[in-house]
Amino acid sequence: MAALPTDSGWWPAAGARFFCTAGRGLEPFLMREVRARLAATQVEYISGKVFFTTCSDLNMLKKLKSAERLFLLIKKQFPLNVSSVSKGKIFNEMQRLVNDDPESWLSAISIWKNLLELDAKEDKLSQRDANPLKRKVEENDIINPKKLKTKQMQELQESRECQLEKQMEEATVEQGDFLTNREKSQEAFQNDVVKAVAAPNQKDLTFRVSCRCSGSMAKTFTAQIFIHLNDIYSVVGIPVFRVPLASRAYIKTAGLRSTIAWAMASLAEIKAGALVLDPMCGLGTILLEAAKEWPDVYYVGADVSDSQLLGACDNLKAAGLQDKIELLKVSVIELPLPSESVDIIISDIPFGKKFKLGKDIKNILQEMERVLHVGGTIVLLLSEDHHRRLQDCEPGGIPRNSKGSHTDEPGIEKCLNPGGKTDLSDTVSSSAETGGQGDLDKMPPFGSLVPVDHYRVSLGRTGAFICRYRKSPSSGR
Amino acid sequence: MKLLTHNLLSSHVRGVGPRGFPLRLQATEVRINPVEFNPDFVARMIPKVEWAALLEAADTLHLVEVPKGPIEGYEHDEKFLRQMHHVLLEVRTGPSLASLATAG
Repeated sequence: MAALPTDSGWWPAAGARFFCTAGRGLEPFLMREVRARLAATQVEYISGKVFFTTCSDLNMLKKLKSAERLFLLIKKQFPLNVSSVSKGKIFNEMQRLVNDDPESWLSAISIWKNLLELDAKEDKLSQRDANPLKRKVEENDIINPKKLKTKQMQELQESRECQLEKQMEEATVEQGDFLTNREKSQEAFQNDVVKAVAAPNQKDLTFRVSCRCSGSMAKTFTAQIFIHLNDIYSVVGIPVFRVPLASRAYIKTAGLRSTIAWAMASLAEIKAGALVLDPMCGLGTILLEAAKEWPDVYYVGADVSDSQLLGACDNLKAAGLQDKIELLKVSVIELPLPSESVDIIISDIPFGKKFKLGKDIKNILQEMERVLHVGGTIVLLLSEDHHRRLQDCEPGGIPRNSKGSHTDEPGIEKCLNPGGKTDLSDTVSSSAETGGQGDLDKMPPFGSLVPVDHYRVSLGRTGAFICRYRKSPSSGR
Repeated sequence: MKLLTHNLLSSHVRGVGPRGFPLRLQATEVRINPVEFNPDFVARMIPKVEWAALLEAADTLHLVEVPKGPIEGYEHDEKFLRQMHHVLLEVRTGPSLASLATAG
């Protein structure tokens, strides 16, 4: 894409550099997505962020599905050196972070403006330049740098400390004319950046700054700056959209996190004309994400809960997808579908106390396996518990005995060692549930469902696994 | 639900739904719902159709212009595909939320 000269600046021929935040575990999905969707180059993942270069415009950028937020990169550098306890030194480093290489700020601003198609007239430009670098929060926004950091940067190592001193203000005034416009913003910026008390003393209060503006204050600021300082890098960027990418305009009521739902669908190898089933669809988030991305597909959702189905129905209508997705009130353990009639199954297996491990899961997987075509794909979201149990009994040449027999013996014995009971009692984990009634302590994956891969992801407070299986032609059933 | 879905469900157990629920259609419940025509999609659905069940349903609902079966080279036959599109995707029975609650 050739460089596009515009009134307000320039568009670099090679594209602009961005970074995205992503939920833990989704980074590989995001890297794959930016390459596929945006033809991104120089894609790298460093400590919670994915950096990439692309020529895509706002409309394409808006379509990113596995990212939380998108930022235009201003600068990325080596981490600030805090080995010395001298506040002055740290202070100078921060100052250098901001002041050095003004070109990077200016070019980023100009790209940002191009992206947003702001009015590029000269007079407005100069007026705006007075405050382009100040932080802004609009009235209705809850954009809060501190919140951004704590929410997304779970690995943030240390908070930085600096002391605001007169000499800093003097130092900025000494800058050349070239930076005149930025002086005021520098002050404000540095005022905003950090305040703290003496560094090494543990009892002293240290904190990061968050800045919230509303009302007329908010209207004077046109841009927001995002900064993340940790032990790996110092990154400065401008958020491209006001609303996080993860918050979808087309989803009325979210169930599962949209980024995870999309990631699951992206693993399922959905092709045009496929029959895709979510037998525990809840509010239908997975089907919505899939139908938006792969529209020429026949989607069916099922659930046993009336309230969930009504919510899903609402969601479909709000998204305009009611023609693409069919909803059924049926149970996942008794699907009214012919055997081998479904191409793809994607589902979020309920976590928690409501769903007992063992027998329920076994029945669910069994029914899923029945309706799936040979060669079909299943993508499940499993809690850590479910995953651990399934993993402890990988197939790999293990002979399967009677399928679906509900005997008194824990299933794992049949799976690994038909003969000996005692060998395995040691290996049964202590978290196994009621052994007595014939509930399975461990669930063997069913003979023809072969695990392909799995990805650990964060759901906020808990973790989970996205697991993919394929149905292979089975023998001896 | 779309007739395509009905077709899929009713082929599970011929003539009778899950747990003894007959998947009988009632002519009074039919609605026609325009859907954008996508020939590729329709062509891919044709192999999944259970024709006997479809023809029976079409009969019950007094639908006209329903092909009796897949014709040779149907993938490129727009007339055929449009007819199938109409039958499978635009004819709807009952409310959009199909209730097939198992009995007892």
